[in-house]
Amino acid sequence: MSVSGGRFTHWWTGWRLALRVAARDARRARGRSILVLVMIALPVLAVTAADVVISTAEVNAAEGLDRRLGAADARVISQNAADVVEYQAPDPDDGLAYGGRRDGRRPTLEDVTDVLGGGRPAVSVRDGVRRVRTDAGVATAMAVETDLADPLTDGLARLTEGRWPRADDEVVVNQALLDRGSQLGGELELVTVGADDTRTIVGTAESTIFRDQPFVAAGPGALGLPQSGRDEWLLGGGPVSWSQVLDLNRLGLLVLSRAVVLDPPASTMADEYTGSDDAAAAVLALVVAMVLLEVVLLAGPAFAVGAKRQTRTLALMAASGGSPPQARRVVLGSAIVLGGLASLGGVGLGIGLGWALLPLAQRFSGEWFGPFQVPWLQLAGIASFGLVSALLAALVPAWIASRQDVVAVLGGRRGDRPPSRRSPLLGLLVLGAGVAGSAYGARADQNGEAVIAASAVVAVLGMIALVPVVVAAVARVAGRLPLPVRYAARDAARHRTRTVPAVAAVAATVAGVVALGIAVTSDEAENRGEYTASLPAGMGSVTATSGAPPDWAAMRRAAEAQVPDATVIDMRGVREGARGWTDLRFRHDDGAVRLSGWGSTMGSSILVGPAALPVALPDQPATTWQRAERVLADGGVLVFGAEPATGVDRLTVKAAVHPPRGRAERTSAVAPALVVPVTNGYAPFRAVLSDELAQELGLTVSPVGLLVDGDLAPADEERLSDAVGEVSARADVYVERGYQTPDETVIVQLVLAGLGALLMLGGTLTATFLALSDARPDLATLAAVGAGPRTRRAVAAAYALVVGLVGAVLGAAVGFVPGIAVTFPLTGRGWTDAGQAEGHYLDVPWLLVLGVVVALPLLTAAIVGLAARSRLPLASRLD
Amino acid sequence: MTRSTDVLQLTGVTRVHGEGATAVRALHSVSFIASAGELVAVMGPSGSGKSTLLTLAGGLDTPTEGTVAVEGRDLGSLRQAELARMRRTSIGYVFQDFNLIPALTAAENVAMPLELDGARTRKARDAARTALEEVGIGDLADRFPDQMSGGQQQRVAIARAVVGERRLILADEPTGALDTETGEEILRLLRARCDAGAAGVLVTHEARHAAWADRVVFLRDGVVVDETGSSPVDALLEPGLTR
Repeated sequence: MSVSGGRFTHWWTGWRLALRVAARDARRARGRSILVLVMIALPVLAVTAADVVISTAEVNAAEGLDRRLGAADARVISQNAADVVEYQAPDPDDGLAYGGRRDGRRPTLEDVTDVLGGGRPAVSVRDGVRRVRTDAGVATAMAVETDLADPLTDGLARLTEGRWPRADDEVVVNQALLDRGSQLGGELELVTVGADDTRTIVGTAESTIFRDQPFVAAGPGALGLPQSGRDEWLLGGGPVSWSQVLDLNRLGLLVLSRAVVLDPPASTMADEYTGSDDAAAAVLALVVAMVLLEVVLLAGPAFAVGAKRQTRTLALMAASGGSPPQARRVVLGSAIVLGGLASLGGVGLGIGLGWALLPLAQRFSGEWFGPFQVPWLQLAGIASFGLVSALLAALVPAWIASRQDVVAVLGGRRGDRPPSRRSPLLGLLVLGAGVAGSAYGARADQNGEAVIAASAVVAVLGMIALVPVVVAAVARVAGRLPLPVRYAARDAARHRTRTVPAVAAVAATVAGVVALGIAVTSDEAENRGEYTASLPAGMGSVTATSGAPPDWAAMRRAAEAQVPDATVIDMRGVREGARGWTDLRFRHDDGAVRLSGWGSTMGSSILVGPAALPVALPDQPATTWQRAERVLADGGVLVFGAEPATGVDRLTVKAAVHPPRGRAERTSAVAPALVVPVTNGYAPFRAVLSDELAQELGLTVSPVGLLVDGDLAPADEERLSDAVGEVSARADVYVERGYQTPDETVIVQLVLAGLGALLMLGGTLTATFLALSDARPDLATLAAVGAGPRTRRAVAAAYALVVGLVGAVLGAAVGFVPGIAVTFPLTGRGWTDAGQAEGHYLDVPWLLVLGVVVALPLLTAAIVGLAARSRLPLASRLD
Repeated sequence: MTRSTDVLQLTGVTRVHGEGATAVRALHSVSFIASAGELVAVMGPSGSGKSTLLTLAGGLDTPTEGTVAVEGRDLGSLRQAELARMRRTSIGYVFQDFNLIPALTAAENVAMPLELDGARTRKARDAARTALEEVGIGDLADRFPDQMSGGQQQRVAIARAVVGERRLILADEPTGALDTETGEEILRLLRARCDAGAAGVLVTHEARHAAWADRVVFLRDGVVVDETGSSPVDALLEPGLTR
């Protein structure tokens, strides 16, 4: 250390100067500093608040022990008279096993104290449930019987009002039970099979475990909780060791010892049960990577502008003997200062926010949270995330600052070197790797989604390296555009270190939104595509769940009364259920057995008569209907198959009627047949038989439901449902309305669009704000040559448009690749040998894509244009 | 009172910056006229109010008292948009540090006032090229400012100030950032524009530049302390330099 001591001093001196310059600069450029602080502090704050709430909500081992042990050292459970406890985990709830017979006497408290040594205070405790009468009826309350005034039970419940019970007819209840109609000082009625029993409520106490469930507590035996061969005691008098636990185990006792749980013995079987979730860790890593990337990209431009402002200082430093690392340090110094400040501030505010949010979070949880907890170790990690993101954001500007042309800067010429030729090439390679990864993921047999998600991050990184080239190209073609746009495009290209991260931030966001959008919409398309209508659209059915057949005639009258415009048709079929079942098999002349489907939409899988056609053929063309009608009229049968068997027109039908007990009755018949093709391998029924065939096979045909033929509106459905519900509680009404998009899909799309809008606004505003503050002299010049007040707005809007549009187009292009790729593992069933995807759905949400790529940049530009100050600054020379 | 040849007329112009105890009087009751074909030099030490006078003449600032009229229109009576229009069509600025927009080419910088005025891009570019040829750098039209020397940049600035038939050129130390020889070139250009019919106001602190002017107005502490007649101030000319 002594040798490197001098080196350290030297090293620290170098940083001290850099940090001092950075701190001064941060104070001077307040707007920019605040921008960086907010960018970094916001995610840190959000994650910190979430972490505080989650760790407070989580009940850790020690807190959990207080809730189960109170102030006691151990809880001993005697519940098995016959056996030895062969194994128990340190916490018996985690695992236990009985084995080896004992004398058969249930151990008592004396046995326990014999083993542990006398003089230990003990109190009996019993948990259970108790039914109590409330205003609305009868509720089940969590119950505990113990002496709550005993110091050992301190921590099982919290007295909020009144006093603990002293006599056997006194109880305490919690607020949740009071809310159901009881009163402090009033009576609580216990519902018992024989006669009801009442107790006086002498206090309000909250269980430390249950929050919103009714809770009642009273002295030992006072609630009459069933004994059920189990005794429990809370013991005090010092820690109970693992060897004492094992001794008690030999007596057939289970022990929850505070000392053992807090300091578990080295080798117990419980260790074998712990495992890690690799997939969850991978997803978490990807999310963290993406968030880090966004923060870096959003904060990057601010550091770039800071470095730009410092170019003269840095050049002067270089001229007076400063080395490139020293120049780098100045820029990195501002990252340390601002990143450190933002991280500390974010964590501090996050703890406060988490604390403020606790009451709200508690409302959503049925269990009491633990005491307020600040997980310092995790928070340190979150804070270093903020610092690291700031350092990463400053890395490129620092590097550029260190290699600027000193002579050019001091001579007043621009110091930016021409863009590197290598980085776009590297970008193309990385982007290619990302695309290849997506393609591989699309064809992978498993974990395809994870591979594609990872390669999406790779592709976005490659794209970022391409952004400078694209921005430069846009500037080159901007010559024909109107002045504000041309100015914005050229200026964006000149200040690449500021523009590129902002464009990249927008692009990364849009890539994510487009990829996820395609995935969600395609998934939705699959759901829609695989949806099989049970009935023609608008038609309704009335069926009954299993049990004795309801009065179908009464149901029919009820239905007809409610929907007079519709035609009510009786559905008949072979009943199934408690009285046995009927099996049908179909054999073709060639000897091949044809299996049909197993569906039973109408309460029976075998329907009889032409009335079943609407249910059997909801999606089929008219020709199939005509053929089906003909077959049924000829006394035939409709069966369902995966593909139309055109050659089949006669089948041998074998029926086996299985009674509840005894041998099946078998019959068979040859009949004209029609094989109806079904989509997605789902057949609505096993068969539709003609009356003649059913009779020939000796099957018992009875009503199984009603078909309500008419265009039923939701209001009709409601009335129908209420009317048939009155006839039978088991009646079930279904109206075919086609595929209904679940709310979640819509919400996910809205969230995607909203998130995209927010991040795009953030990225665009950053870049525009910084560009405008940079462009002050240019705007002053514009004013001097006669630009109107609107020109500044136009320039601001054009800036936002260039950043937003270039980012959005690039991002969408990159986002399509993983988006399309992920639809294969998501919706496809696999690949055929010929390389064709089976059952694959691809649906691009063009509205979302257009909205994000076109409408959003225009909207952002409009917002920026409207929000920008219209007053043009005076040229500095003329101030 | 106003003759048709009077392009710029300041009447009793006073400009006070700030209020109360911190009030600073930059100009006090200044009156002068610049006519078509005339180059007026405004001289004086630092803080004498030269630059304030130019910002008032260009309508970038408004006087506390008095009136500023350009081509007979009182700038104080115009709305912001009309003022901006005046700057696009009637007034041209030349700055000491050129104030070209680095993101735009020479031709685009020159075309800017016309484009801002709504001219078609092609027409504006053509006019800009002509203006650049007039100042002798027609071949540099597509260069960016940082690809040019200081003299070339100032020529572009002059071309921008005169493009589109503007009759008032306001030049604020236009040679300050240039070497002597280049500076003389620039002043010759300015003089030529005035001879062609424009009115010019040249703020300078170098006596020999005033030699290019028809008249010299001396300012000290915001007050006109001396005004040479319409006769050229030949006495200030250095030997060997003639226009």
